[in-house]
Amino acid sequence: MEEQGCPRCKTTKYRNPSLKLLVNVCGHSLCESCVELLFVKGSGLCPECGTSLRRSTFRLQIFEDASVEKEIDIRKRVLRDFNKKEEDFPSLQEYNDYLEMIETIVFNLTNHQDVEATKKMIDQYKKENKDQIKKNLSKLSKDEEFLETLIEQEQHETTIRKMILLEEEKKEKAAKRKSKEALIDALMYQDRPAHDIISSHKELAQHEELEAKRATTAFSTGIKIGHRSDIVPLNKQETAQLYRYCPLVIEWCGPEPPTVDELYTDGYLRNIRTISDAERAGGFREALACHRALQDAFSGLYSFPNVSAPSPAKRKSFPQTAAHSPMITS
Amino acid sequence: MKINVDGLLVYFPYDYIYPEQFLYMQELKRALDAKGHCVLEMPSGTGKTVSLLSLIIAYMRANPLDVTKMIYCSRTVPELEKVVEEMRSLMDYYVQETGEFPKFLGLALSSRKNMCIHPEVSQERDGKQVDGKCHQLTASFVRNRHKNNPNVPVCDFYENFDANGRNIPLPSGIFGLDELREYGRKYGWCPYFLARYAMSQANVIVYSYYYLLDPKIADLVSKELPKQSVVVFDEAHNIDNVCVESMSVKITRRTIDKCNQNIEDLSKQIRRIKDVDETRLQNEYQRMVEGLREANIARETDLVLANPVIPDEILQEAVPGSIRNAEHFIGFMKRFIEYLKTRLRVQHVVSESPPSFLKDCQAKVCIDRKPLRFCSERLSSLLRTLELTDIKDYSALSVVANFATIISTYTKGFSLIIEPFDDRTPTIANPIMNFSCLDATIAVKPIFNRFQTVVVTSGTLSPLDMYPKILDFQPVTMATFTMTLARPCICPMIVSKGNDQVAMSSKYETREDIAVTRNYGNLLVEMVAIVPDGVVCFFTSYIYMESIVAAWYEQGIIDQIQKHKLLFIETQDAAETSLALLNYQKACENGRGAVLLSVARGKVSEGIDFDHHYGRAVIMFGVPYVYTQSRILKARLEYLRDQYQIRENDFLTFDAMRHAAQCVGRALRGKTDYGIMIFADKRFSRADKRGKIPRWIQEHLTDNLCNLSIDEAVQVAKRFLRQMAQPFSRKDQLGLSLLTLEQLQSEEMQKKIESKIQHV
Repeated sequence: MEEQGCPRCKTTKYRNPSLKLLVNVCGHSLCESCVELLFVKGSGLCPECGTSLRRSTFRLQIFEDASVEKEIDIRKRVLRDFNKKEEDFPSLQEYNDYLEMIETIVFNLTNHQDVEATKKMIDQYKKENKDQIKKNLSKLSKDEEFLETLIEQEQHETTIRKMILLEEEKKEKAAKRKSKEALIDALMYQDRPAHDIISSHKELAQHEELEAKRATTAFSTGIKIGHRSDIVPLNKQETAQLYRYCPLVIEWCGPEPPTVDELYTDGYLRNIRTISDAERAGGFREALACHRALQDAFSGLYSFPNVSAPSPAKRKSFPQTAAHSPMITS
Repeated sequence: MKINVDGLLVYFPYDYIYPEQFLYMQELKRALDAKGHCVLEMPSGTGKTVSLLSLIIAYMRANPLDVTKMIYCSRTVPELEKVVEEMRSLMDYYVQETGEFPKFLGLALSSRKNMCIHPEVSQERDGKQVDGKCHQLTASFVRNRHKNNPNVPVCDFYENFDANGRNIPLPSGIFGLDELREYGRKYGWCPYFLARYAMSQANVIVYSYYYLLDPKIADLVSKELPKQSVVVFDEAHNIDNVCVESMSVKITRRTIDKCNQNIEDLSKQIRRIKDVDETRLQNEYQRMVEGLREANIARETDLVLANPVIPDEILQEAVPGSIRNAEHFIGFMKRFIEYLKTRLRVQHVVSESPPSFLKDCQAKVCIDRKPLRFCSERLSSLLRTLELTDIKDYSALSVVANFATIISTYTKGFSLIIEPFDDRTPTIANPIMNFSCLDATIAVKPIFNRFQTVVVTSGTLSPLDMYPKILDFQPVTMATFTMTLARPCICPMIVSKGNDQVAMSSKYETREDIAVTRNYGNLLVEMVAIVPDGVVCFFTSYIYMESIVAAWYEQGIIDQIQKHKLLFIETQDAAETSLALLNYQKACENGRGAVLLSVARGKVSEGIDFDHHYGRAVIMFGVPYVYTQSRILKARLEYLRDQYQIRENDFLTFDAMRHAAQCVGRALRGKTDYGIMIFADKRFSRADKRGKIPRWIQEHLTDNLCNLSIDEAVQVAKRFLRQMAQPFSRKDQLGLSLLTLEQLQSEEMQKKIESKIQHV
């Protein structure tokens, strides 16, 4: 965004943070010091467009866009005279036509189109509607009235809210003081032991607090409010049985193969090549391969396929007879 | 299986049913019978979607006059696809049982980005780009130009659809996004407009929330849905925020600058048109005189332009004379923008209500309330008349026009907050005008008023009674269901202190305390040592996470964690986060698992599921309160207190707890799943927080799990994990948490499952 600055002395807002731009009817801006310099006599010409200006009509520039500034200035002047309200017209359409007329006037004046004709029109309008302009001077339009009431209402509500809050605070303080006094009184005049009195007092205070809370949570839509304290935990679910390992029972259909222990004791391992370090690191042992090979060899020795073909279900229970291990040396 | 739910025959596509699904359907039927709204909470992973679909579709078939349509609103495209998938399996079951496909049309609808099949347009990545390009090819004036000059490009798919598509209704079937695209390719019709057109004949429509809640879109898409529809909001725990966001406007210096450019562009265009073709402007002017009604009979392709909530009475009225003429309107907008600019030039925070804004506006720049109300309609009409093809260029100006319309239409439920700088960088001037909606009911009210049954449902809606209050409706039934489980597969616990007995809390006073951060670190270290696979941690904010991780790094805790698991962190950058997630999942698939540090209310906490080994433990570090110093939040709290008697603290706690529940709920996505949920903050054990945890978590959170130290928590977790590691098959569930038809019908079971539901 371009920096705002005075077109004459080229001071910008950045260089002089306290720069104040002023603007006159022609819509060209000047900084405060330039205005003082140029308009010492009280009147002079605009350095931009040469319009003769009076010093007293300079005012602070609100908007960055000078054309908008100018338009609004003109608009305000026009609206002072064209102040008819919607109620003054028989139909909405006529009112809308009237609004458009105002727009056209403002547009013409700001863009210097048919200025003379427009000014004439304004004068004529002024003459024709003298009474009404006066009458409407202080009247508000419907929308404005509506806004006014809304704002009033808002303010009213905030004051009430503040009062309620204050009152509540007061009440709370009073109640606290009262309970304190009651406690001291009780301690002074009652014969019960002191700690008893204090504990009963505390209980009472807690009870009251709860009551107060409940009162504020019971509200509006008719739905009951409050934390669900009535949750009954479900009866605890039975914990499942722990898993128990039972060893695999295999139907061999052949001689029982030696167990892993027997492999060591009966010297089966002597026919196996010794295992390399790499293989040992991978978690293999000679016994594993040997055991597997023996199982493969023994299982199914007694079964005769031509006598009774083994059912597929039976085959499943056999250990897998996959490829022979290359580690076996016969 | 076919079930009898309160006298209604329901086709249920599976052989087994969960008891809570049956109860859910019963409750739903009650609401449908009463033609009222309902709020239902049922844990995720218990088959909400299929229960909803099978019951409502059965109801529609039994009472075709009472319920004509089901509108299923979901959040994301994957969720939408899931619903379509369930619907398909349900229909397959219908075919299997009845031998023929019923007269039924299910339809999914998404944005142009997901549906477009135009070879060029569909290549665009950005949704807005796709919309803009589509508009360039299908706007009515472009098509008119094409008639005179065949060189003007148009979309053939749309042309084909426009020529033939409307005469032939879609056949019965389920049309997901893929099917629609397929169908569109086959016939050469545009799937997007086809789906939009077919909405009127569809029985079930599946689409995103925004098509119903965002007034800008709803007005176009969902306006004509019949009153006898059932609307389902799934995953609705954030519905109030969606409503509020859809009505809020944010204006910055950049917006204003862009607006100025837009205005300049527009006035140039107007001047050009005035020279070339003045009749067009004249015609528009004529239309304005007659009133917006006609202008507003929008041809469907022009919709991108149309706009937010405007009460009907405005549409019937003529445009005020002051903005009828195009040049006058441009001047009007210029003044308004200039006014906003002066408002943005503030030194301190300003907060005011719409009426006082309007009054000030009237006094400063002579802009009445009435023309402001027509602003957005007037702008869209102007853009239409100028026949501009690039709409996205004018987004800044339409934002301001929307703002003008909303602020002048609603005098209550909104607040305007102008902040001269960001709270975190008080030295840099960066003025922001936040026009925020405080009242979720404004956007959602028309829906509750229009449709006979609205179902609000999610896995985590506790406390249920809050939703009717903040959305302002009167439900006929509110219920929460628990999960029936054959084994206790969730292990929630509240860890409130470290081994050194120092209380753990993310409360503001203690969050910098070194003992607290150390204890949080110890908790995580101990947990990663015993939990297999994935562990997900949630922090209350990015800043808090950063400071804690930095402290852990210094204390050497990060190294200890990395001895056991890989560490991933969610960041504010979406692409980075999804990469971290991908690698996290990879790490969980192979090896010892991983830890993901993420943030409540972040992307991960909403919509990413950590089922099975992706999340065996979830740790919530602290109570995820929203940033309470935000002025917008403060204004909303005040409004809620004054209008709905909801106390600030109640709302804050409610909001924090629903996010905490969302976070920990990520871990459990089904009955065969299991997970540990750790709430690591002392404050969770207070009754007001504990009571707001969803019931299905709460019932496992027994008193002895509510005030644990780290050591005790580790013991509990170890025992739990050992239990869960046992083999678990369907047979174990049968009869307890999984029922066959016979089991469901037995009287004993009916009595037993009654305890799974709790009405509020």
